[in-house]
Amino acid sequence: MSSVEAGQVRVYAQYDADLTLETDVVVVGSGPTGSVVAKELTDAGKSVVLVEEGPPFVPDEYEFDGGLSMARTMREGGLRTTSGTIMPTMQAIALGGGSLVNSAICTRAPAFVLDRWCGDFELERTTRADLDPHYEAVAKFLGIAVTPENVLGRRNLLFREGCDALGFHSEPIYRNVRGCRGSGECFTGCRSRAKQSMDISYIPAALRGGARLLTSVRIERVLSEGWRATGVAGRVVKPFTGNPSHHVRIHAKLVVLAAGCTATPVLLQKSGNLANRSGQVGENLQFHPGVAIMGIFPDLVNPRFGATQGYQSRHFLREGFKLETLWAPPAITAVRLPGSGMALKNRLSDIPYSAIWDGIASCNRSLGRVRVRRRSMDPILSWKLHPADVPVLAQALWVLAQIFFAAGARTIVPGVHGIAPELHSLEEAEVLRDRPIRATDLVLAGNHVFCTTRMHGDARLGVVDEMGRCHDFENLYIADTGIFPQCPAVNPMWTAMALAHRSAQQIAQQI
Amino acid sequence: MLTAILCVLALGYVITRVAIGYPDPRRHYRRLGRGEVALISSAAEAMYPAGGPIPASGLDADLPDYIERLMTASGLQTRMLLHLLFFLVEHGTLVFPTSGRGGMRRFSAQDIEHRVAALDGWAESTLFTRRLVFTSLRAVLTMGYFAHPPVVRRLGLAPLAIEAPICEADLLYPRIGEKPESIRWTAEDLTPPSAGIPLPQDGTLHPGFAEAES
Repeated sequence: MSSVEAGQVRVYAQYDADLTLETDVVVVGSGPTGSVVAKELTDAGKSVVLVEEGPPFVPDEYEFDGGLSMARTMREGGLRTTSGTIMPTMQAIALGGGSLVNSAICTRAPAFVLDRWCGDFELERTTRADLDPHYEAVAKFLGIAVTPENVLGRRNLLFREGCDALGFHSEPIYRNVRGCRGSGECFTGCRSRAKQSMDISYIPAALRGGARLLTSVRIERVLSEGWRATGVAGRVVKPFTGNPSHHVRIHAKLVVLAAGCTATPVLLQKSGNLANRSGQVGENLQFHPGVAIMGIFPDLVNPRFGATQGYQSRHFLREGFKLETLWAPPAITAVRLPGSGMALKNRLSDIPYSAIWDGIASCNRSLGRVRVRRRSMDPILSWKLHPADVPVLAQALWVLAQIFFAAGARTIVPGVHGIAPELHSLEEAEVLRDRPIRATDLVLAGNHVFCTTRMHGDARLGVVDEMGRCHDFENLYIADTGIFPQCPAVNPMWTAMALAHRSAQQIAQQI
Repeated sequence: MLTAILCVLALGYVITRVAIGYPDPRRHYRRLGRGEVALISSAAEAMYPAGGPIPASGLDADLPDYIERLMTASGLQTRMLLHLLFFLVEHGTLVFPTSGRGGMRRFSAQDIEHRVAALDGWAESTLFTRRLVFTSLRAVLTMGYFAHPPVVRRLGLAPLAIEAPICEADLLYPRIGEKPESIRWTAEDLTPPSAGIPLPQDGTLHPGFAEAES
């Protein structure tokens, strides 16, 4: 089978020979941005090949167990970390990308952030007013809506109670979910098929429009002649092991890279340092590092019931952090608890009475870099939490502690080295406010990644323009969070999709 | 001559410490060595002793079996990191011994009090890297412990049975490793999407976690 018909899906078991295809547009990566581009371009009548390195997952293949789930759906088995400041960061490898295993949070970038982008990065058409039509288009297709009250569960409602008591603004989260049942299983795959991950939403729509989908194909090189991209080349790879087999080559009039903020710069660098006259490919790596606190309440919370992340507070956005509720597979939740032996078992028995809330910070001063690894497409990520950003995270922890006690928690587990493993009152928690905290004291996680192919109005300072087109290549676009010039202060998926929607409209006119 | 004797003695010590004296595991493991099985079991027993609010112990949860499955599902790099982690914990007692007689024995050869003390030493170390090793070990063991159905049942955290609606995507994608011909659904099998009815908190457990199945 050496051809793929319009509307067809190719999975690993079907590849039996090298494959060469011709198309108008090849899109590398089937996450939230690549899927939008593929669907919008097929709607515009273009021939599209969508390429994904991971396999498609069906519900009876979802693992409840956090470890096995991560090993199967995340790059490097979920064990990817940054060097410098050591922080785990997860990028998905699956059809639908991160949308398969994220909690579906959709939040528009605040106007003040977009205004800052425009001012600092010489952008002219990236204000909220510019992006709102694209946010709306994505929302309409995915049914983005506020989390209904009846599936919030006590874990989310307690957060609201705590914020209300303190006068902090809070709100139920908008999500790309239709018919949520509050299973709390977003991170391991939604068995209710309520979460509108790309594999069940945009990708089927793109296929209906005639797109061709190649799964289990790892693109290793962007092909080019002079200052034009001519396609991509790669290998079929076995799911989970990544063992390569047949060669794949796709010739295209236009190439869209949506492989993700850590993969796209590697691909460009492995392609002869392509599109890098600015020297910015792989630079400026930013995260939203996150910290979390577990609170134990006197009464049963039953935290496994309710929307995974159903409530948030944007009250402190201008101070640099956003607060959210959180639930994860029980084992991942339990990993936060301190100690060992019987003391640990006693703490585990508190989980039904617990809630976890987290804060993510805009750390624009904390920068890093993506470099290539020899004989591998996995990146080397170096990143350093800037000393000036540590107090922002400490402040987030202190505010979370206040919300917990205002909501009636009897104990909090801050998870900060050098501070008592359990704090039993707001007075005890003041240590979070008063004690100097170092970066290595914190348990960090950073799953929102940005800026490695940033947009800039000046071609000397950025990789792409604000439409996502590479300054050096008129027919090479980037459509993932790498093009953000700075971190967006809120969860990035909806903004990335809105930008991809806008790029797709320009591409449709260009070819 | 003295140097040679010292080298031979040191080599003998290393071989004895790293490779000799481990008990035969109950079954054959493809991904784990005998020493690693011993380390995982002994760490599981120390981390999750029997009794208390959750009766099942780390030994009951058969963590070597879980970690074997985890390694099978993981790529080479992850497996290497896990091997390194187990090596560091098993032999870290040489560099960071616990106090008292036998504190320098390899981890799996220590009695349970020493093992708990060793784990606490890693957890509370002022060295970030040492704490990181402990956190990694606890993460792996905890994931395995929670994969044991009686544990999550006891905590009321076992997943419920959910009948997934059949949607358009189910007609497009086969199970991993299979061909599209294996897809058992047709357009006639499509069901209405989720109506958003909250799951009942006393709902039926997923068959893999129900009492009779465990």
